[in-house]
Amino acid sequence: MFGTFLYLTVCGGRNRLRVRLRRLREPRYLIGFVVGAAYMYFAFFARAFHSSSARRPGGVPTPLAALARFGAMVPFVASVMLFGFAVIAWLWPGSRRPIEFTRSEVQFLFPAPLTRRQLLHYKLLRSQLALVFGSAIATLVLRPATLASSWTVLVGLWIVLIAIRLYSMGVSLTRASLGQAGAGRLVRRWLPIAIVIGAVAALGVTAGRDWARLSALSGPGDVADDLRRMWSVGIAGAILWPFAVLARLPLAASPSEFLGALPGAIAILALSYAWVLQADASFEEASADRAEKVAASKIAPRTAAARVMPTPFSLAATGRAELAIMWKNLISVGRFVSVRTLIRLLVIVFAVVSASRSGSRNGGLASLLATLCAVLIGMIVLIGAQMVRNDLRQDLARLTILKTWPIRGATLMRGELAAPAAILTAVVWLLIVAELTLIPYFSGQPGSIFGVVLDRLSYGAAAIMLAPALILVQLVVTNGIAVMFPAWIAIGSSRARGIDAMGQRLLMMAGLLVSLVLALLPAALVAGIVGFSIYWTTQIIPVVLPAAVAAAVVIAECWVAIELLGRVLDRTDVNSVEATE
Amino acid sequence: MISVSHLTKLYGTFRAVDDLSFTVGAGEVVGLIGPNGAGKTSTLRSIVGIQAPSAGTITIGGRDIVKEPVEAKRQLAFMADEPQLFEYLTVMEHLRLTGRIYQVRDLEPKAAALIKELELGGKEKSLPSELSRGMKQKVAIACGLVHDPAALLFDEPLTGLDPLGIRHMKETIVSRGRAGAAVIVSSHLLHLVEEICTRVVIINRGTKVADGTVAELLAQAQMAGSNLEEVFLKVTAHES
Repeated sequence: MFGTFLYLTVCGGRNRLRVRLRRLREPRYLIGFVVGAAYMYFAFFARAFHSSSARRPGGVPTPLAALARFGAMVPFVASVMLFGFAVIAWLWPGSRRPIEFTRSEVQFLFPAPLTRRQLLHYKLLRSQLALVFGSAIATLVLRPATLASSWTVLVGLWIVLIAIRLYSMGVSLTRASLGQAGAGRLVRRWLPIAIVIGAVAALGVTAGRDWARLSALSGPGDVADDLRRMWSVGIAGAILWPFAVLARLPLAASPSEFLGALPGAIAILALSYAWVLQADASFEEASADRAEKVAASKIAPRTAAARVMPTPFSLAATGRAELAIMWKNLISVGRFVSVRTLIRLLVIVFAVVSASRSGSRNGGLASLLATLCAVLIGMIVLIGAQMVRNDLRQDLARLTILKTWPIRGATLMRGELAAPAAILTAVVWLLIVAELTLIPYFSGQPGSIFGVVLDRLSYGAAAIMLAPALILVQLVVTNGIAVMFPAWIAIGSSRARGIDAMGQRLLMMAGLLVSLVLALLPAALVAGIVGFSIYWTTQIIPVVLPAAVAAAVVIAECWVAIELLGRVLDRTDVNSVEATE
Repeated sequence: MISVSHLTKLYGTFRAVDDLSFTVGAGEVVGLIGPNGAGKTSTLRSIVGIQAPSAGTITIGGRDIVKEPVEAKRQLAFMADEPQLFEYLTVMEHLRLTGRIYQVRDLEPKAAALIKELELGGKEKSLPSELSRGMKQKVAIACGLVHDPAALLFDEPLTGLDPLGIRHMKETIVSRGRAGAAVIVSSHLLHLVEEICTRVVIINRGTKVADGTVAELLAQAQMAGSNLEEVFLKVTAHES
């Protein structure tokens, strides 16, 4: 049976490679591949080939060499991180997943005359290619100095990843087994969690004994060093031993050190393997359900979370189609973001702002909140459009339906962009108002109250006018890229893989930046001319009017761009979107 | 009402539809049948404007689907084999959205009638995730019918329906034809086509190999007393 699984794995891998190579015949994938490969070369390989600088005095050390400077601290931190992973696997609710199989694996392998053990072997075998690839990438990033240390890092990382994989499977199977247990079910279900909590408590108690000394230490490095000393002996040492053994492998300073740690690591792997195989749990049903959910999430990523709620406004039977599409997209947001939660959040924010106003005159909390508001405004204006995908990018998955609607492409685009633009603008406006409220309470600037208020209002009004224009232009550019290159964008939750896909994403990002600069240049130019003219005649530096002019220019550009993109959308072939991987 | 003239659809060098011509008049229910890969879906998608023809013209009520897409599509309804609903809109909201897109003035009574006709009563506030596949199919069909289209295209309309649903679907298709709509039904269920279609177009490898009423096709194939299935197998086997 091992041969069959190997055949399936090898054939699958080979054919995937073939498909990816074959699609390079298409220029869009070839260009993406060239860009992606160039990035990989310059990001990893070029540095690896020129790592001699690390050995020169004053040269920039490789990441592995930089880690080596910390001595025994690095394996210790790595072992604590592995322990943390082991704890989270039991305690974190989101980690309670069954063993994942694809839908085709469920359909072909589950009804086949295979034992559960054989299915587990298949999963282990199947995962090895990804684990080796991941280890290789990590090795390239770490850039070991010699060929021998490259091998020890590669093999060490691979063994660590296999151990993590086996442990995850063991946790999943043990959970399933305990869930199916009969008598004493409750006790048995909580027993592993109690053991994990006990282990954490043991480490905590060990550290707690010397808490006074630990809290008196000057820096985190000293604290970590002291913890390493305390947790390397006694019960704590025993608890962390398996993790320390694993962590030592990829970080071994020499081949002999690696070989010294190898027997212990292999023993841990063997024990984990035995644990996985002895867990007699029926995972098939949970895995089949999971496969269906994963497949469904690629088409409709948020179906399960949706719930019926009131619509944002009632839609009249006739009127502009844009409003109907906006209505639809607003409903989508409402179904996944609770309005009640937003109101609660708003109340909390205002309460905190009010408290800061009364409790702080020259900084403190008000300063912190104002900075937070400024950062949020910047983030939403600059990357909000990339994050909120509740627009055409989401609906391209349903292009078959959209194309049958009796509306122009430009109308469809305007409708699709309206909801995210409105939502992002509303959030930014709220933050701007909060920012304006907070500024005088920490600025402490001299001058009349009237002057300060006027200044605030001017800058606030300018920001309020510019924000929607900046948001809109980004939405137009990102959706425009989706319209122009539909096969290059991710639809729903699916993500294309491979070097060519990575290259495509890099190109898209570059295209976005160039388009933004091109779109904003005319607006900046016109606003500059207006501002300079006012200053020339009045000797007053204007803020509001140039901002209004800039916003108007950007919005006009967006309108023209949407009209042009709409024509492209009208000509877009559904197959060009469906052809994505 | 529907006129397909010298339609050709190319995917790269592959010719999915090759110089296909046929018409569907008002009140006609035409069955579009053919083996897998014959070009049925490409033809339907070209007719409804989802994809552009490589050559040829398609008009709906005299409007060219390429040159006047909005006006042509206003008269159309396309019911795909796989219903694609918005996962976050309820059944009634789907109808409201469609009504607004097609500018249906008396939406509420029409929506209510369709909900009753398609047995969606009680599901008005349900999300697609709460519906069975057959129910989703009914919602898609209700959305297609809500604007009283003059031309209807059904792609495998019986997929996912229970026996009662199948009966109602057949009645719906026939009644729309009788009401004066031009209907195209693409299906592999030849008994359905034979039962409800007034005319049949058989395509194979992208070209039309037969066109006429079932009686005419039987006569052309010199298979009097036989049925559509026999004719289909003979015609497509001969052509392939």
